[in-house]
Amino acid sequence: MAGYLLRRLAQVAVVVALVATIAFVLIHLAEGDPFSDTLENPNVTEEIRAQLRATYGLDRPLPEQFARYVASVFRGDFGWSFSRQRPVIDVLRDALPNTLLLMSIALAVSFALGIALAIAQAGRPNSLTDRIISGISLFFFSVPEFWLATMVIALLPYRYPGIFPIGGIVDPTTHADLSRGGQLLDLAKHTILPAATLTLLFSAVVARYQRAALLDVLPADYVRTARAKGVSERSIVRRHALRNALLPVITLFGLAFPALLTGAVFIEKVFGWPGMGLVIVSSIDSRDYALLMAAIIIGSVLVAIGSLLADLLYRVADPRIRDDR
Amino acid sequence: MIAEVALPFVGKRAVTRRLLSNRSASAAIALLFAIVIPCVGAPLFAPADPRAQPNPVELKNQPPSASYPFGTDQASRDVLSRVLYGGRVSLAVAFIATLVSITLGTAYGAIAGFAGGVVEAVMMRILDTLLSIPRLLLLIAIFAAWRGLNVAGFVLIVGLTGWYGLSRVVRGQVLAIKGEEFVVAARALGASRARILLKHILPNILTPVIVAASLGVGHVILLEAGLSYLGIGVQPPDPSWGSIIQDGSDQIAGAWWVSFFPGMAIVLTVMAVNVLGDALREALQPRHMGTE
Amino acid sequence: MVIAVGGDPDGLFPPVLTTTTGRAVTEQIYDHLADLGSDLNTVGDAGFSPRLAKSWRWSADSLSIAFTLDPSARWHDGTPVRASDVAFTYGLYRDSATASPTAPLIENIDSVTAPDSLTAVFWFAKRSPIEFYEATVPMLILPEHLLKGVKGQALRTSDIARKPMGSGRFRFVSWTPGSSIELTADSGNYHSRPRIDRLIWTIAPDPKTVFTRLVGGEADVLEQVPSGDLPQLAAHPELKPVLLPGLDYNFVTFNLRDPGNPTRPHPLFADRSLRQALTMAVDRRRVVQSAYDSLAAVALGPTVRAYPTTDTTLQQIPYSLDNARRVLDSLGWRVSGSDSVRRRNGRPLEFTLSVPGVSKSRMNMAVIIQDQLRQAGVKMNIDRREIASFVDLENKRTFDAVFHGWHVEASPGGIRQTWGTGGAKAGGSNHGSYVNAAFDAAADSGLSAMDLPTRRAHFKRAYQMIIDDAPAIWMAEPKTMMAINRRIRTPALRPDAWWSTIGEWWIPSTERIARDRAGPPR
Repeated sequence: MAGYLLRRLAQVAVVVALVATIAFVLIHLAEGDPFSDTLENPNVTEEIRAQLRATYGLDRPLPEQFARYVASVFRGDFGWSFSRQRPVIDVLRDALPNTLLLMSIALAVSFALGIALAIAQAGRPNSLTDRIISGISLFFFSVPEFWLATMVIALLPYRYPGIFPIGGIVDPTTHADLSRGGQLLDLAKHTILPAATLTLLFSAVVARYQRAALLDVLPADYVRTARAKGVSERSIVRRHALRNALLPVITLFGLAFPALLTGAVFIEKVFGWPGMGLVIVSSIDSRDYALLMAAIIIGSVLVAIGSLLADLLYRVADPRIRDDR
Repeated sequence: MIAEVALPFVGKRAVTRRLLSNRSASAAIALLFAIVIPCVGAPLFAPADPRAQPNPVELKNQPPSASYPFGTDQASRDVLSRVLYGGRVSLAVAFIATLVSITLGTAYGAIAGFAGGVVEAVMMRILDTLLSIPRLLLLIAIFAAWRGLNVAGFVLIVGLTGWYGLSRVVRGQVLAIKGEEFVVAARALGASRARILLKHILPNILTPVIVAASLGVGHVILLEAGLSYLGIGVQPPDPSWGSIIQDGSDQIAGAWWVSFFPGMAIVLTVMAVNVLGDALREALQPRHMGTE
Repeated sequence: MVIAVGGDPDGLFPPVLTTTTGRAVTEQIYDHLADLGSDLNTVGDAGFSPRLAKSWRWSADSLSIAFTLDPSARWHDGTPVRASDVAFTYGLYRDSATASPTAPLIENIDSVTAPDSLTAVFWFAKRSPIEFYEATVPMLILPEHLLKGVKGQALRTSDIARKPMGSGRFRFVSWTPGSSIELTADSGNYHSRPRIDRLIWTIAPDPKTVFTRLVGGEADVLEQVPSGDLPQLAAHPELKPVLLPGLDYNFVTFNLRDPGNPTRPHPLFADRSLRQALTMAVDRRRVVQSAYDSLAAVALGPTVRAYPTTDTTLQQIPYSLDNARRVLDSLGWRVSGSDSVRRRNGRPLEFTLSVPGVSKSRMNMAVIIQDQLRQAGVKMNIDRREIASFVDLENKRTFDAVFHGWHVEASPGGIRQTWGTGGAKAGGSNHGSYVNAAFDAAADSGLSAMDLPTRRAHFKRAYQMIIDDAPAIWMAEPKTMMAINRRIRTPALRPDAWWSTIGEWWIPSTERIARDRAGPPR
């Protein structure tokens, strides 16, 4: 087990290093730099841009820049964010908890909701309930995240801006003066729509996946035995099949991180939720190299940790799985 | 998720029959035809030239009506026509990118499975690493760096990053089939490796390939739309569904129809290919066959 | 009072700022020596009001100005403001390690000396009508005692760049990036306490969500209402729309040099009559109306209406499809066969317009221009460019035509770089390489004339020349549509800096809401 864990951790390190290297090379080979957006200001001459590039070491050869970058990352220094004029690490420290809040709400609710729906469906496959739920989850499974979020905004915040504020996680102007309950309500008002949208999207994934997993287990011998004993279909699903359909749930947990992160990128952008996704998107717009690099590294660490956790859970849940799996 | 189990080959006719007897699959096929045909034949079906601007002042941002079923956009262009022409781009991108990725995925998986030994071990280790790279983040890095990449480049990169899952499944299939009696028999009869691969193994790995292809098309359509929304997607002279949505996204309060209809086109198409993918899997691989 | 903005400022260190939010915030915290009047007069000192300088004296040869500082001016930490702070500030702005975009604006200032603690003397390299403007408007005076010894990159990362401390009417309280910036009234300010106690910029992490903050009541002021949200504004009677003339103009620049070989003239656009014909073929009024509704005027030329030097009676090249066709015919560009594109000696009348994709309004206009030119038999391709590659294209001059825009200073001096011969060299701002010695001379006379009527006359001549030469199709002059909650009363707003008078804004006590009454936080 310890050997396996070490090997997996090494793999995580390799993946993250690989992603970081690819991203670094790509981003730095591209034309343009963080100072290109001063285009319409005739005072920012090419000389000033050159001076800025020299100040921040962007005129050095690529390998040298990369070596410097790696060295500073190992010192825990992710560099300076041009667009936000503050250390990258501070930006991440502000953004990461917001994304984790959104992701954990979506993760918890959609697992509960998705599995509940799947149980209702698998109990009576091809019934009307099953079809309706399948249809709805198919819709949310097939919808572009950003489009759904955009339509939600057109429907709610634009009409009821007081009830559904968007942008930010609280109202910064009044939040500090509110009572404890008022602060919670403020947070809830800002969180509800982005969290609900992300939850709907991921619940569909969970429900579809779990339904298929349950239906795969149902024809197994022990279920047939139980059925022969006259146990009701519903409790077969609940007592027997579900336990054996635990492994797929764990797999799903591993898949959840990349899926939620992808969803968060779009949801955060549309709702103006100040998390990692918005950091990624805005750093693309402003060509904020250091920030984009760091966000991509953190993102891949999140994803890698998610899949590592899922693998470990898998081994705990099913001792039959050997080291070479 | 595609189960990593070996399956006996199912006859073509049986597949068609099973597929058509599935009501939702028939509906999905009908829906796909209803979307794909007008898009592919956009010059015939579109009521207007997607670039024509009848009157950019008085006729801009008109809500849906009899003369403009999907309304008009900022420059008074007909949204319906734009959606049809945009569909050509989106569908073509999705189709070709998927073709690239299933070709790569099948080849890689089949080679690894067939080669065995150290080659296979190394190939699988590489695959594990590739699989754990978050695709969207990688694509964001690539397209953020090379914005304004042409359609061919976009398609190629999307295709190149979308084959890992399939190759793992294909390799599993190859491994299982390699041990099957009919393959062993063929080998005993002196059939060449290439012949065994082509005659016996390839037809048997068609199941996951076809399923992956149909789901892949849906996935790429969503991906293309998402990247277009972030401003780093396809930038052809004619818009894609994603870029039409993006065009209208800052006007959703006033002119929701510009973004709504291309979005619905995406949703319906992706729903249809997903249903089709599921149905194909069932038809090609009747459930529980492996366990019974 | 809460001001909604769509993103963080690029820092709060005045010499390096380029965003309007950065300027709006820092100009509350720091002071200029004197403020520009709302008529935007930049000649001499007419219309300027005293700020950190209580009074000033011109030397007999007009080559220096001695400013006397207000003796009661204090930095927010209680230290008196001294003339040495002014001299230090000048040095910092001019230091090349600072890489300040403001530096070119103060090039004519030779040096600043501080003969005593309350007198700062500005010495100019050559006589110029805008000496006073140059000495006062570009720079905000910074505290030497907090910045001494900090240079280059360290300036941008220094504490004061994020927690500014100045002498202005508001003190800095906090900046939570992506969330808010808070200032509070400096109660003992030498310029009297402002009438608003608390000033908050609420930062929407994404520009699209800004508007909902305003209509939702979370904010009182929105600097620029997105044009897509305009219909919504009418539904909110509590919001007062305020239309400010802008300091921006945009235009389709023709490259007058061959994109493949800059030593040769452009195969199409070197021909003045052809450029005029293309201008005639574009119905600029319609294009601008479609893209901006009422939020922009058709540009007059390389200038903006807000300048007192701009004459609005300039003779334009009028829109006429028939005339355009006639001129093109006479130049030998004719339609033949089934092709709808004009040709001459087999060469089609075709070119590519590169547009920065980030600018939605320019993309919209380009699409309509394309359609209008098509009707004249001209094929224009649109090349949507990501901003960095757009800049690169302009710098290398490898384009046919670009859809450019300028944001101009309160003084029209920038025209030398943007349309004069001096800016035509590679790396300069005159991307189309328009060269006309008579235009240069007229613009120079305008810039050096000492009184407004003469300046105006020279500029009129210069503008008329360049309009007739048609090195660009002058498109739109966007205005700024602000929205301000009606309970807030404002004096006249300066077109280039609406925030300059915030210290004078007030809310009648009967109309205050809880947010306005809440005192400065602990």
